[in-house]
Amino acid sequence: MSVPISNRIRRLRFDNDEMTQAELAEKIGMTRQTVAAIEAGKYSPSLEAAFRIAEVFGVPLEKVFQWRG
Amino acid sequence: MSFREKAAWITLVSVLLCFGVYFGTVFSGGLHGDGRANGWLFVACVGAFVVLQIGLTLAAMWTTPKDGRSPRDEREQLIKARSHTLGYYVLVVLVLGLGIPLHLGHVAAHELMLYAFLDVVITGLVVATAQIVMFRRGF
Repeated sequence: MSVPISNRIRRLRFDNDEMTQAELAEKIGMTRQTVAAIEAGKYSPSLEAAFRIAEVFGVPLEKVFQWRG
Repeated sequence: MSFREKAAWITLVSVLLCFGVYFGTVFSGGLHGDGRANGWLFVACVGAFVVLQIGLTLAAMWTTPKDGRSPRDEREQLIKARSHTLGYYVLVVLVLGLGIPLHLGHVAAHELMLYAFLDVVITGLVVATAQIVMFRRGF
């Protein structure tokens, strides 16, 4: 089931020295499977997790997640 | 596969194996109504279930040590909550269904206990299956 939120996590990972899902997961305190689910748009993270992801990449939240409506 | 998904698979397989043998034997009349043999089979199946769960969970922790030690993340907590909510409703329906054999005729207390235990086992299977489906789907 897809959620109405798109994200640029894959692109941001690529731009950050090709960070792996496992590395991102470790930085935000989640499993690699959860990061994969977020990236694939199958799971909407909590606001706290979303901010953590944005913080890892050093960008504002709206650069990571976009509302598709 | 994450440690939590492995744990759900372990529960599903152990319940199917151990209690499948138990209920299969009891309902097929393999014990010829021998209460003592039934009791020993029950103890053996519960013992096998505990050993399988502990052994396989330790094996899963060994293959994914980081996951095994860390607490559930938010998605895993949600999956656990959703599957247990589903399990609760299934258990309520099954427990209410216990009234059916009572209305159909005379049911001995030990038979009623057997059906009640079957309800618990079915609920465990539903919870584990729901968790596996949600882990596979992403949520």
